[in-house]
Amino acid sequence: MSLHPQARNEHAPASISRGALTVGGLHKSFDIGGAPRKILDNINLDVRPGEFVSIVGASGCGKSTLLRLIAGLDTDYSGELRLDGERIATTSLDRGIVFQDHRLFPWMTLEQNVELALLNTGTPKARRAQIAADHIALVNLKGFEKAYPHQLSGGMAQRAAIARALVTEPKLLLLDEPLGALDALTRVHVQNELQRIWMAQRSTMVMVTHDVEEALYLGDRVIVMSPNPGRIRRIVEVDLPHPRDRRAPLLHRLKDEILAELTSGADAAESAGNLVHLPSREAR
Amino acid sequence: MKHQLTRWPVRLGIGLIVPLFLFLWWQWQGSAHPSAFAPPAAVASALAELLRNGGLLRDTLATLERAFTGLAIGAPLGVAAGIAMGIWKPVDRLLGPLLHALRQVPMIGWLPLIGLWFGVGEGTELIVVSMSAFFPSMLNSHAGVAQVERRYLEVGGIYRFSTFQRIRFILLPAAMPLVMTGLTQALAFAWISTIGTELLTGAGAGLGVAMQAAQVQQRLDIMLVVISVTAILGFIINQLFRSLRQSLLRWQPAQS
Amino acid sequence: MMAGRHFPSGASVPRLRNLPVGAFAAPVLLLGAWQLACLTGLFPQQVLVPPSGVAKALADMAGSGELQRHVGDSLHRLLVGFAIGAVSGMIFGAALALSRLLDAALSPLFLTLWQVPVIAFVPLMVMFLGIDEPFKIAVVAIAAFFPMALATFDGIRGVPRNWFDVAKIYRLRLHQLVRRILLPATVPAVLTGLRISLTRAWVVLVAAELLAADSGIGQMMEMGRQLFQIDVVLAGVVVSGLIGFLLDRGARWVESRATRWRAA
Repeated sequence: MSLHPQARNEHAPASISRGALTVGGLHKSFDIGGAPRKILDNINLDVRPGEFVSIVGASGCGKSTLLRLIAGLDTDYSGELRLDGERIATTSLDRGIVFQDHRLFPWMTLEQNVELALLNTGTPKARRAQIAADHIALVNLKGFEKAYPHQLSGGMAQRAAIARALVTEPKLLLLDEPLGALDALTRVHVQNELQRIWMAQRSTMVMVTHDVEEALYLGDRVIVMSPNPGRIRRIVEVDLPHPRDRRAPLLHRLKDEILAELTSGADAAESAGNLVHLPSREAR
Repeated sequence: MKHQLTRWPVRLGIGLIVPLFLFLWWQWQGSAHPSAFAPPAAVASALAELLRNGGLLRDTLATLERAFTGLAIGAPLGVAAGIAMGIWKPVDRLLGPLLHALRQVPMIGWLPLIGLWFGVGEGTELIVVSMSAFFPSMLNSHAGVAQVERRYLEVGGIYRFSTFQRIRFILLPAAMPLVMTGLTQALAFAWISTIGTELLTGAGAGLGVAMQAAQVQQRLDIMLVVISVTAILGFIINQLFRSLRQSLLRWQPAQS
Repeated sequence: MMAGRHFPSGASVPRLRNLPVGAFAAPVLLLGAWQLACLTGLFPQQVLVPPSGVAKALADMAGSGELQRHVGDSLHRLLVGFAIGAVSGMIFGAALALSRLLDAALSPLFLTLWQVPVIAFVPLMVMFLGIDEPFKIAVVAIAAFFPMALATFDGIRGVPRNWFDVAKIYRLRLHQLVRRILLPATVPAVLTGLRISLTRAWVVLVAAELLAADSGIGQMMEMGRQLFQIDVVLAGVVVSGLIGFLLDRGARWVESRATRWRAA
């Protein structure tokens, strides 16, 4: 289901130009208190066109930083970062992003917010409203076009943000913990929506999450990262056709494996330090 | 007891007790020393007289005109300067020190200097009123633009906004609530400084001029009429502006 | 323009800007431009006196003790009036916040009077009090009273209800409740009120002195105007701005010291 029919890349064959992401030998450091601190260390990853890749890891493993680099919001990195062979040097309408906070402009209605994303796409003004309406329908928000963001529930606002990100038909959609702020039930609901939308659009999607179950339910592959500095620890193939059944035994087996991976080994020393030691009663 | 106090007729009744006592005391004092304390009846007749000879209307219109002319000059300049300073750092570096130095002086304190330059009259009054409207507009607009959240600017980056688009679709609307706060303050300041400059210069017509004249002539009745008109007008203008603000900022959650 | 500002990334340029040199550069440049504009004859002496001229006028007045007298008189009025106004405002605001009966009885009158610009009371007070010290102190007190009363009222009413629940759970006594919860919780609002009252009081005092006084910064400026002494008027502008600035800064400093526990 392509919502605007005009071909995006006439000059290249569609099969390889539809959102192939290459990450090679990627390093990233921040300056913290004058000393450089390694955030991402030698990240290598190839995402196939149309693939859904989930990235999980403890907080501080650099997964959101990785996403910001791919989005072009931060361009200070070393290594390779290419979309369809083109080096990522700034933001682009080819790469959409959905943030954890929906970031809809509070001063605009839902339809104005979605339409605004089309401002610099070269879409004729007359067509923008129609394209926006189609995407609002895609995320099941018909009837809320005139609502301001504060009038929407958390799940609705996040779906609206997804509509805004998709409206430019990006080759690659980045999702930065898009459901992190939602309650458990809404979350499951929007996960289903997301799966349906991805199956309809088939654009490449890379999602960062801290919810292993969510990562497995949606991802063709799950990248497990470890912190300090951020490294790829393991890549898990989820060999299960979409749409998926949450109760599939494979998902549960993989979930246990990944959780064991995330909470064991090198992290053991650190997690021991995190234990809460209660003062003994006798001491009082 | 507590529950009764939340019912409005009870509240209203209690709220009227003190003013009523004050009124009776005033009446009693006024009839005992009619020269020093104008009794309510004298104030009422002063009001009638001022309405009949058109003096009150003329003074009110003159003051309103002065305040709104000053507001119309000072507020747009202030908003423009504040927004420009918020968007472009060089403008801030250029204008900021001067403006922040100037605003430390109490606005009415400029009156002698400006009076010396331009003579005591309409022009001097307008400059001071405009300045009073300028500074709150500038400060709040500047703060409004400066504190636009970066996460919104990032969205602009994602959709490849030009500088113009960033100003038009993100910075201006995001700064709007504080700009409106600035304008509300500008209105109040312009009103106060209009009365103040009129009191001090005492030229032409105006409520402040009328107060000053009443003081010189020891006419407490006229004074009270003029003070009441000043208070009521200030209140009405503020209310009108508040409803204007609410209709302009519909997108905000209802809490404010 | 936006891309470079995402994270602190070790660039040395911003650090240079943070040097105190930057803070002094602008005022120095400003004074230099002012001095230059006068020296080049852009403005004649009768219109604008250079900073050096203002400094000389200040030095002369300080030498004769005139400046000290004006500043001293103004500050004395400010201090006395502010103390009376702020303390009574605090008591009034607290009483209204704590007693629903007083709130119902007095707040309509209070809110009505609050609509009147303080400056509009000036001629009325001149009629009753004359133009001597009591008048000026009363003006300052009234200017300080209203913002203080409102801030105290809002501060006490703004203490979250669930903090009282916490007090109940730990079975705090009344004096503990006041000391441990009510006072610290209202201090920020009260201090903000104090700062606003202080700066308002200063503005109103200068205006009152312009109108009617035999001494004080306002009167100094007004006399300068009548005698066409532009250097004296400018000196008054500078001194009144400086005092206003220092009052505001001082109050902010106290505010930030006393409320360090708040998140910046």
